[in-house]
Amino acid sequence: MRLNSLQLIRYGRFENAEIVFPRPACDSPDVTVVYGPNEAGKSTAFFGFLEVLFGFKAGVHPYAFRFERSDLLVGAELDLPGRGAADFRRNSKRSQSLLDANNRPVAEAVLASALHGLTRDKYEERFSLDERGLRDGGERIAGAQGDLGQLLHAGVSGLTGISNTLSTLSERADKFHKKHGRGTALKSGNDRLKQLGRDLRADRLTADRERNLRQDRDRTTARFEAEKGALVTAQKRQQAATAAQIWYDRTEEIKRLSEALTDYPDGPDVPPAVAERVAGLVEKIASLETRIAEADAEIADQDGVIEENPVDTLAPALKAELERLDQMTIDGAPLMDRATTARADLDRRTTERDDLVAEIDEVLASLSLSEVSVSAVVLDAAELEDIATAVEDCRKAKDAVDAAEAAADAARAQQGEAPSEPRDLTALRDAFEAWRAISDLTALETERDQSLARLTRSAAGLPSNWADLVDAGLPAPETLEDAARDWAASAADVAAAESGFEERTEELAEAKADLLALQAAPEAVDIAMVEETRRRRDLAWNSHRNAMSSESADDFEAAMYEDDDARAHFLTGAEARQRRFEALKREENVKARVQTAEVRLGKLRERHEGLSEVCATLAIALGLEANAPPAALGSRHLALVTAASAAADHSNAQNALSARRAGKKASRDVLNEAARDLDLDPEQDDLAAQVQRVLALEESDRKTWKKWQESRKNIDELEKKSQNQMDEFTETQGRLDRLTSTLPLPDCSVEGVRAALPHLRSLQRLQADHRRLADRVKALRQAISALTEGAQRLSAISGEPVDEATSNPISVIDQARARLSIATHADEKRSNAASRREGADKARRRRTVELEAAQNDLSACFELQGGEELAPRDRIARLVKRDQLRADSMLADQDRQKAVTGVDEDLFPEELDLMPDATRALVLEQELKDSQECRDSARDAQREAERLYREAFAAADRSDLATERATLLETLRRGGRQAAVARLGALAARGALRRLATERRSEMLRDVEEAFITMTVPKWCGVEVWSQAQGEKLVGIEADGTKVPVERMSAGTMGQLYFALRLAGYRSFARDLGPLPMILDDIMVTFDDTRAKAALQLCAEIGANGQAILFTHHAHLVEMARASIPGVAIVDMPT
Amino acid sequence: MRFLISADIHLGSPIRSIALRNTDLGERLKQASRDTFARIVDLAVAESVDALVLAGDVFDNGHPDLRSRTFMIAQLSRASEAGVPTVLIRGNHDALLDHRAYGELGPNIHLLHKDTPTVEIGGVAFHGLSFDAAHVETSFLPDYPRPLPDKRNVGLMHTSLDGSPGHDPYAPCAEPDLMAHGFDLWCLGHIHAPFERVDGPVLAVMPGIPQPRHFGERKGGTVTLVNLGESTPVFERRTVSKLGFSELAVDLQECTDQQDIFRSLRDGFLATQVPHRDIAVRLTATSLRQGADFVSELAEEVLEGVEGVFLDKVTVMPPTRPPGNETDDLVRLMREEIAGDGFRQSARLLLEELRLAMPSEIVEELDDSALDTLLEEAIAGVMLALHAERPE
Repeated sequence: MRLNSLQLIRYGRFENAEIVFPRPACDSPDVTVVYGPNEAGKSTAFFGFLEVLFGFKAGVHPYAFRFERSDLLVGAELDLPGRGAADFRRNSKRSQSLLDANNRPVAEAVLASALHGLTRDKYEERFSLDERGLRDGGERIAGAQGDLGQLLHAGVSGLTGISNTLSTLSERADKFHKKHGRGTALKSGNDRLKQLGRDLRADRLTADRERNLRQDRDRTTARFEAEKGALVTAQKRQQAATAAQIWYDRTEEIKRLSEALTDYPDGPDVPPAVAERVAGLVEKIASLETRIAEADAEIADQDGVIEENPVDTLAPALKAELERLDQMTIDGAPLMDRATTARADLDRRTTERDDLVAEIDEVLASLSLSEVSVSAVVLDAAELEDIATAVEDCRKAKDAVDAAEAAADAARAQQGEAPSEPRDLTALRDAFEAWRAISDLTALETERDQSLARLTRSAAGLPSNWADLVDAGLPAPETLEDAARDWAASAADVAAAESGFEERTEELAEAKADLLALQAAPEAVDIAMVEETRRRRDLAWNSHRNAMSSESADDFEAAMYEDDDARAHFLTGAEARQRRFEALKREENVKARVQTAEVRLGKLRERHEGLSEVCATLAIALGLEANAPPAALGSRHLALVTAASAAADHSNAQNALSARRAGKKASRDVLNEAARDLDLDPEQDDLAAQVQRVLALEESDRKTWKKWQESRKNIDELEKKSQNQMDEFTETQGRLDRLTSTLPLPDCSVEGVRAALPHLRSLQRLQADHRRLADRVKALRQAISALTEGAQRLSAISGEPVDEATSNPISVIDQARARLSIATHADEKRSNAASRREGADKARRRRTVELEAAQNDLSACFELQGGEELAPRDRIARLVKRDQLRADSMLADQDRQKAVTGVDEDLFPEELDLMPDATRALVLEQELKDSQECRDSARDAQREAERLYREAFAAADRSDLATERATLLETLRRGGRQAAVARLGALAARGALRRLATERRSEMLRDVEEAFITMTVPKWCGVEVWSQAQGEKLVGIEADGTKVPVERMSAGTMGQLYFALRLAGYRSFARDLGPLPMILDDIMVTFDDTRAKAALQLCAEIGANGQAILFTHHAHLVEMARASIPGVAIVDMPT
Repeated sequence: MRFLISADIHLGSPIRSIALRNTDLGERLKQASRDTFARIVDLAVAESVDALVLAGDVFDNGHPDLRSRTFMIAQLSRASEAGVPTVLIRGNHDALLDHRAYGELGPNIHLLHKDTPTVEIGGVAFHGLSFDAAHVETSFLPDYPRPLPDKRNVGLMHTSLDGSPGHDPYAPCAEPDLMAHGFDLWCLGHIHAPFERVDGPVLAVMPGIPQPRHFGERKGGTVTLVNLGESTPVFERRTVSKLGFSELAVDLQECTDQQDIFRSLRDGFLATQVPHRDIAVRLTATSLRQGADFVSELAEEVLEGVEGVFLDKVTVMPPTRPPGNETDDLVRLMREEIAGDGFRQSARLLLEELRLAMPSEIVEELDDSALDTLLEEAIAGVMLALHAERPE
């Protein structure tokens, strides 16, 4: 696929814009540099290209700011394999968004086929590269540690993070589970599950448990009820005793109070709080008498003040006139404030106004306009600024006209005679370059021979069917390592277990021998033998007792001796029995250990056999004998991988050589045909020299012709520019004339007006100042006149004549203000005194009434009571004391009645009979306390039993634990699956990377090395692959032969290696599936000039295999590209 | 006559879902099976049915948990006091229904077994046999009583019928034999997905599990009301579960930014909402850019604003491509790699190691038979991890 043009019809800030990517000449790489400053829309263009290919992205569109999303439209002309050039358009619809040039829908399959099924994301990853991608790519491939597969994958896919990805996957799996790992999620989960299981089992409510708990609860409940009854009886007894005590005490108190009341007068009870009331009335009467005397004195004082302050009858008229003067204003300010300074100010302003008139006359004279009215010459500020601007525009336009004419004259003087146009030799040049590029076969033949030799070396020692083994798929190296390691560990375990088993067997034999020896020892008589001899002795005794013969006596004696011996032996053989018991115990222990060792050995052997089978399967898969040692698996795997790689190299080299030979013959035929068209003899040996001479001559003529054409074009542009400047000057001059047409200036030219401008500005300012001062003088005169008139009116009111010529109106006004102030003060004093006198009189009358009422209340307090001879306070105190004694007696009776309410009727008389008894309360208190303690104890026991019963039910409800367990199991299920998926993914990816290294290594490595050297010469001179047990590593070779692993390269070198990998990946894709446009966005901004040139050459390499589009905003890179890449197309971003 | 039929209540069995990690949901559902059983009794009382029929597996296990039994009796007594008798049989999980060990159930609660296989309620004869052992591999049908003449006959049976995926054979019974036995209605239990069969005038009802416990039981959640008249019985399902399970597939390939993804997820979740019922969603997202962790985090955030919907599981799969049309070398080569015998042997060893370490209840997740599926997920996982957006 090739991009011929990109049309931004309605897209971003563009409307009907187009970027054309010219087709290269036949001998030139397909490279287009698109130049535009920052923010020129390069990213917009790339985004638009992707949307033509893959359709609009859903959601908010980043470039729908000038046009609505529904109106966006982009297009492109593309060369498609098998279809040629075709125009496409893309709109934002969800379906049928791909259109042809006539806006008819086109099937997406047309583009999808040319894109080989790539998605938008993958296209971006594989066919675009910017400066950041280059820098990050370099940093990330460091993580690959030189792994060949990972590096080639980075080149092919554009994805650089596979090293991190695989590490992350493995770490994720390890976090869930790792052999012998302690802090893993699975270990924690298993521990928690066990704990949950224990908790759930512990709290299960069985039928037996429920029955026991229920019986406990019922028993304690019955006891509690009994104790509660006893406590109630004790409480009733105590209540009855308390009531009896109260009854007895209150009856005695009532007797005592009745005797005391005989000393007090009769009469009804006085009302509550009467003592305070009497005391209050006595104090109130005294207070009221004092206040009436004070009111009489106040009335006499205020009458004196009224006589001392008479009324002024002229004050109202003076006040009205002064208020009128205060309200008068001048220029918005009160007249009185201006009165004192008006006279002096008037003189100063008059002098200033006259000075301004003289200045205006001087300026008019300097303009030679003394006879002209100033109003005819004065302009406003805006008019003056317009004239000044017009004057400056005229001057600039005139200067530009002069400069343009001078440049045109100089260009005409430099142009020479016109040369003749050169002829077109494109066909000859293309044919010659094509033939020369492939004429030398030596390198390919050497590469083929070398690859064959490598293949022969690599396959030596391998079985004849080694290629079939590789095709069938080799086990992963990790699997081989794990299997060999596990097999070796298992073999060691088996050997150790066998040794242990033998030791245990020997130990058992020793134990058995010891036991036999101890059992055979004479001390080893056990209790059974003693019992047997005792039984025989008893039999002998019975026989002897019946027979009482000498024989039976002998038998009995013998039995007695035998029994005595056995008992003696038994008693003395305790230590021997202990040893025998220990030997027996030891034998049992050793037997158990032997069995354990045997079982363990069996399991280990079984596991070892399983591992041996795994190793045998792996060995067969690698072409080894089934019984090959597992340690040999790794080296055979490496040998097979190396041989497979060498075979792939050789096959590729042979194919490349054949293709080159065929191409060489075809290109020679084309060259011969082109030579004949130019009358050259193709049969001559020096055809190449002839062609080179003709091409060199044509190149020289073409440069001369092109230079003359450019010169002619430049002169035309300068003449056109000169004419444009002249037109602009004429238009400016006309505008100035229109602006100055009303001014009576003697000189109206540009310079004349420019010279008059300062004077015109002065006149405008002076005239404005003059108007302002004249208004001021007039206002001051009006103020002085108004004041004089006001003073005359005040004098007339007060009856005092005034001399207009000599008296000051201000002092007249001040005198009037003083008189008015004195009159106002006297009015206030008189009014206040009258008010106070009236208040004092009112208070006196009110207190006289209150005094009479208080005296009446006091008499009422003692109605129907005796004791008239006493003062009121003493009399009421005695009556209150009498009433208190009466109340105490009544209260005692109430207490007595209240105490027996609710008391047990049987117990109360019993307790009353015991009164008085000082110890009765204490005795009952102790009895109650004892009963309460019994009740509390029973209650606690009952509550505890109830609690246990309820808690057993509540604890059985472990749905929270069951839920947690179920949730945890689901979490572990998911975690286990994710861990398995992560491990399998990492395993598969590592295997795939090894396959990638085998599959692509020959062609891509060559491309990588070539590109890397181009960019880094002279420091680096090659790239090489190291084979190791774990795989293959890429290393760089410095000029002095030092080999540097990738991970030890500098960041800059790493970035260049990454670029070389991407270039190799592009070539690989182009070879397999055909080229696609590669977009490079300012990737060289951080390169120095040398490296930038090298990188540009690599862009040319991309262009030689497909199409390279380089966006840049650096002008120097454009020039560098023009110099470095023959035939490069330079286009500007549209505006 | 109107009956409410249920089975497989599995009292005491917890719900299995990672959604319960949500504290609020976990708290609401820790007694889900009990609450659902109470709802069933509520419905029976509200509908004034003539009998509540429970076709086995009222309890989840044989552990003598008296609390569960007490709860069941309390609920059935409530129904009895409201005039709704209960007829039930023991399933393979129902040791707690043993009279001899734990005493009588109470009045109007009829447990049918081989000694008392028939009870008559309102002129309808109910016939049933109970499990006496946890595992019975022969059919109970030959031991069932013959239908009583001049009566409507209803059968209760706990059976795996002809066998069902995911269920071992328990008292298997051929469906045609069952329908031909002569009963008018069969109330069945054991299979957790509900279904009904009609054969002429005979109806067989498998009411399913009333409260699904995990995603595999998502079809459950209902009980069945049956009207038994003169013609073929008429049935109606009613939802009683507190929590349902649902699956949701969302394509995130077209999403340009996080806001787009947020919107797509929210729209999907809102579509799964069910009034007055919680839903645990198993989300499958299609994307080449977003990893499962990222999608899970975003989904959790979205669900904070969606009432009654919770996350059961999240799976992210890259878009599938037609076979043979793979431009990605890594995918192509991984497929070649996993096809090799050597690799498969390594993979089986790897799974075995994990199985040995995992709890026995869940080791079937990594069974060798799942290897192909796991390998496909593994390839997708690598591609997702490789292409996933990295934080800036």
